[in-house]
Amino acid sequence: MIKLEDVTKEYPGQTIALRNADADIGKGEFVFLIGPSGSGKSTFLRLLNKQEAPDSGRIFVAGKDIGKMSKRDVPKLRRNIGAVFQDYKLLQNKTVNENVSFALEVIGRPRHVISTQVPAILELVGLADMAHKYPHQLSGGEQQRVSIARAFVNRPLILLADEPTGNLDPQTAIGIMRLLDRINKTGTTVLMATHDRGIVDQMRRRVIELADGHIVRDQSRGVYV
Amino acid sequence: MAFRADYIAKETGQNLVRNPSLGIATVLTVAVSLTLLGAAMLVRVGVAGLNDRFRDDVEFIIWVDPDVAPEHLALIEDTLSASASISDSRYVTREEVFAEFQQYYKETPTVLELVKPDEVPTYFEVVPIEPDLAVVQALGAEYRQLPGVFKVQYAAEYIKKLNDFTRLASRVMMIAAVFSAGASTMLMYNTIRTAMFARRREIEVMRLVGATSWFIRLPFMLEGMIQGAIGAGFSVVAVLLLNRGISKQLNQNDLKLLASFDLSQSDLLAISGWLVLSGAVIGFLSSGIAVTRYLDA
Repeated sequence: MIKLEDVTKEYPGQTIALRNADADIGKGEFVFLIGPSGSGKSTFLRLLNKQEAPDSGRIFVAGKDIGKMSKRDVPKLRRNIGAVFQDYKLLQNKTVNENVSFALEVIGRPRHVISTQVPAILELVGLADMAHKYPHQLSGGEQQRVSIARAFVNRPLILLADEPTGNLDPQTAIGIMRLLDRINKTGTTVLMATHDRGIVDQMRRRVIELADGHIVRDQSRGVYV
Repeated sequence: MAFRADYIAKETGQNLVRNPSLGIATVLTVAVSLTLLGAAMLVRVGVAGLNDRFRDDVEFIIWVDPDVAPEHLALIEDTLSASASISDSRYVTREEVFAEFQQYYKETPTVLELVKPDEVPTYFEVVPIEPDLAVVQALGAEYRQLPGVFKVQYAAEYIKKLNDFTRLASRVMMIAAVFSAGASTMLMYNTIRTAMFARRREIEVMRLVGATSWFIRLPFMLEGMIQGAIGAGFSVVAVLLLNRGISKQLNQNDLKLLASFDLSQSDLLAISGWLVLSGAVIGFLSSGIAVTRYLDA
């Protein structure tokens, strides 16, 4: 599903974010990206949905070399890749329902599709009765659920999660991990960058560890160490 | 890609009311610049009408010295009738000139007493074939060289002066309009940038979930277009009022000479159309550039 071949990414005036990285992630896998801050985890994720372009190397998503993809085709790529962030990136002036609907509206989905898919996804994330609340009326965990609902409403092949539990207490984080696990079980490939040792150790999924832009460990059913 | 018209309309509407002070500033700047452009267009159309109007009235007058020798008078007459450039000419005799003179100064008998019939100059009324003012002037200059000719006077000379003045005025207004249009383009560019900055989070989400550039772009471009068109609408009102003011002045002061500045409905319609189109295009393009630069950044 995702393949990196000798990928290097350098930000001008900074240390190298990713150095000669190789990785092969299959369909339906759940992968933790771990490593200290600045080790290249976020860059790894940002390269996959073309928020960034590598300086060298090739990246394949669903068999396509995304480096060769034209600007026009980037939106199509992103429709297949959901993204979840530590700060949720919710629109404060929109309700839960509107935030999730927004993701479908802006890709031109017809109204009847939106009116059936949005309640279904809110049910899945456990927010069916909060559809008309605004983000500021929700807890952090609930906001992250909205963010996950928005990322998953279009049933993407891949879900990228950048420190999704970073702002949450351990109990709430477990709830979010259960949700991501459920999503993974539907066949969606999940890549999650995290610092959360407890979660990694408990879930025992594939672990890719980064240090100074290098992949230093790639272990199936790994732990944080 | 399917565009949801209701979504685009909703977004455009929200953009328009989101930042009212900047929006109003943009609309007003567009209105001012397009009013200048419209005024310049009014003058241009008026001048064109003026030229058409006097195209048929290009005769000139060759004044003859009061004490002209008969052979010189005959030479002038022969040259005129032999010329291939002259369609018609008529010699106005001393008696006719004096009669005109008497008619003209009948209110002021003291002037009449001072002038005796044999002191008034006579003249030729000449109608050239080619109505172009420059050609007529060249022709007149030739006759000025003939002996016994006192002065050549062109009926169209004062038209030309007026023409030159209005042309200059129109040019100055055009230049002002161009600068002003530049200012409104920049202001609109900044308005859209500000609007995009205010919505940067939304745009970020739109890009992440796979909205196409055009989908993001279109509401902002429509916003610019609508602001431009509204500004142009104000300028149309201003130009129509200006035209009404001009016609009123012309009618009150009985300035038949400048009647061509009283524009027809079709001319006004055309000018209005151009103004609205210009406003919309300026708005659409300047916001398009702003959006593209923002999205490419």
